[in-house]
Amino acid sequence: MRVSPDELKAKIIESLKLQDITPEQIDNDAPLFGEGLGLDSIDALELVVLLEKNYGIVIKDIEEGRPAFKSVRTLAEFIEARQPSK
Amino acid sequence: MTGRLPVVTGLGIIAAPGCGVENVWQAVVTNREGLKPLSLFHSPRYGQLPTGEIALDLDSLGAPRRGSRSDRLGWIAAREAIKHARLDCSEKPERIGIVMGSSVGGSFDSEAFLIKLIKNGKMRPRPTRFHECISVVDLIASEFGFLGPGIALATACSSGALAIATAADLIVQGEADTVLAGGADSLSHMTWGGFHSLLLVDAAGCRPFDAKRAGMSLGEGAAVLVIEAEETARERGANILARLTGWGASCDAHHATAPEPQGAGAAAAMKSALSRAGLAPADIDYVNAHGTGTRDNDLAETNALKSVFGPKPPPFSSVKRFFGHTLAASGAIEAVLCVEALRHQQLLPNLGFSDPDPAIGLSPVLKSDSASLANVMSNSFGFGGNNAVLVFSAADSFPGTRAHRAEPVAILGLGVLQPKQLESCEVKAPLPPDRVTSFSCGSLPEASTLNPNQRRRLSRLIQMALLSARKAVDGRSPSRQAVAIGTGLGCMEDAGTFLENMIAKEEREPMPAKFPGSVHNAAAAQVAIDLAARGLNSAPTVADLSFEAALWQAVSQLSANEADFALAGAVDELNKYPLAIGKRWKIWRDGHRPGEGAVVAQLGKINAGSQPMARVTAVHLGRFSVPFNADKEAKWVASLVNLKNIDTVVTGMGGWPRLEKPYSDLVAGLTRFTGRSLNHQLYKPSVGEFPAASAFGFAKAVELVKSGSRGVLLLTLSPRGGKAVCVIEQ
Repeated sequence: MRVSPDELKAKIIESLKLQDITPEQIDNDAPLFGEGLGLDSIDALELVVLLEKNYGIVIKDIEEGRPAFKSVRTLAEFIEARQPSK
Repeated sequence: MTGRLPVVTGLGIIAAPGCGVENVWQAVVTNREGLKPLSLFHSPRYGQLPTGEIALDLDSLGAPRRGSRSDRLGWIAAREAIKHARLDCSEKPERIGIVMGSSVGGSFDSEAFLIKLIKNGKMRPRPTRFHECISVVDLIASEFGFLGPGIALATACSSGALAIATAADLIVQGEADTVLAGGADSLSHMTWGGFHSLLLVDAAGCRPFDAKRAGMSLGEGAAVLVIEAEETARERGANILARLTGWGASCDAHHATAPEPQGAGAAAAMKSALSRAGLAPADIDYVNAHGTGTRDNDLAETNALKSVFGPKPPPFSSVKRFFGHTLAASGAIEAVLCVEALRHQQLLPNLGFSDPDPAIGLSPVLKSDSASLANVMSNSFGFGGNNAVLVFSAADSFPGTRAHRAEPVAILGLGVLQPKQLESCEVKAPLPPDRVTSFSCGSLPEASTLNPNQRRRLSRLIQMALLSARKAVDGRSPSRQAVAIGTGLGCMEDAGTFLENMIAKEEREPMPAKFPGSVHNAAAAQVAIDLAARGLNSAPTVADLSFEAALWQAVSQLSANEADFALAGAVDELNKYPLAIGKRWKIWRDGHRPGEGAVVAQLGKINAGSQPMARVTAVHLGRFSVPFNADKEAKWVASLVNLKNIDTVVTGMGGWPRLEKPYSDLVAGLTRFTGRSLNHQLYKPSVGEFPAASAFGFAKAVELVKSGSRGVLLLTLSPRGGKAVCVIEQ
């Protein structure tokens, strides 16, 4: 299933309760952690929950999710690759 | 002052490997695996993971019924320690104090209330009676009859060690001759779900310092040490097991959960403990590491070891695989083992380690080999970058420990925050019906000054503390600043939301961002991060005396020259849980109003240049005997305070109905002592009833001094049996 980056951005904003930011302001390739959106390790865990809640993807080790959490694009690709086929 | 140096005369312990120091010691030195799958409660997702659960029946061990699982574990350890020390608790009970670390308090029991409510819609508030962290102190003090200071500290996983450090301060300052100190924490859904939500639990059981380590294992337990002033221990002919020669605390001021990667905060606490003990790094023969088995802790901790001791630190090990991480109990359990290591001249093995981690480049002790041990160090680190380090030395060593006395301190700034919407909240919102309904006092208007991450992540309680602290410091923020912010109930909103979600969804889709905010020291830790305050960081949870305990710690840190500035404050929030439970207990009747708010004061040393708004010249805590004897308690105040300078007394009257008479009798008693009438002022009628309310009494006292009072006595009684007296003067 295709994952729309805009839909994913809206979900990220909602689940991380990001303040004063709209989906349009997030670049598909901008780093989510460190400099980009300034997210931290707890946000990474919230992304893990987001994946379970919305896409049924369970991550047990944060290292497993690390490459996926680089940007919105890598996250969307990760979801497409890992999502259980429906 | 050498006579007042702390020594250890008794030990007690209960944990997964067994009950009693001898049983536990045998399990450790024989490398016996102690972790098993969870059976205490149902965990749909993680129940099979290795866990340090206590399989013993607490009833058959004689634990009193009136207490939470944590309280009863604490009592069992205290009983052993008292017996071991051959302490006669009826001898000068007002000189015996107790300081316990507690992270979850009675959560395991009070969770039963939430589970019933969510699953069956039934509200039975009885299990919440022992929810507060101070409950374990109340149980032990009342069962054994102690009347000295009773303090609980909730600084997450460093609580037990910080409690022992605080006991040492109480003793050197002469507040008590004997202090029972330690920690107690049971397993609970909250911490179980919380650490799993952070992906910090190793499915294979914890492997501290191992290359493949993948997190901690959880556990439960309690340990208590009898710490005494050397002179009184010798007077009564006690057997001195070891000396507590060094204690130090610091804060990373870095992140809510992650340690500062270089271990700078941990290293600062180790150096502070060494300095207190008058020892050099080379004098330490063994380090009992915190070593939880998480990737971040073990790497940061070994970085800290290298920065303190050089590339080849002394032998070190973590014993977490024997016990699981017992949170607030861990620092106390490990302190007991360090004393035993000194007595047996034997190292403690690091169960669970097999492959060295190249990133660490060090390997821990694997066998309980004999070694010549004169001084050993024990590390404990907690959420909020909270670090506490202890140094124990052989009983026959000659200590170079630095003692200190409590000095008057200057009040430099005061931040008072009571949300404005409280009034409309009280008027408009009916108290919740028997079923908990959604209830919120809304966000704080002042929160717009916080940064976006603070706004989105932090609960109202933490925001209130942050805003008050910023007002108090007004730009004066050196790194050598201690932070002690007390709270009676902590971040109940975050904790409750996390738990409700976890129970309803059977451990799926957790709320990891809510868990770090649920620890009682979250407010103090966030203040430290905001102000880059790297001194001691503490969260006393002493019910109605939480502010006074914080003030005591802040004054103590300044007096010991452990900090240049210190923040003392208290905060509690109003949310649906205390409102609903309070209604069922019929607390909110007769015009008795719930309240919330935060007060933080910045304190500094008194020097020629400073122009303080007032001075704190005395802070003392204790417990009153039952029935309340006003003459006896007035004598206690008169013995500690120079009443000549006092013209006004501020009390917590107008709150708990059962304290009205004790308060008025006490004020009458003091009037007889002074031979003149004292101006009596109240704060509860205007701020409402909540554990942190006495901080508003302190703010009132400061205002009275600013407007001309010579000296104000702040008197606080707790319905749980605690008492405190503070003096604020010009």
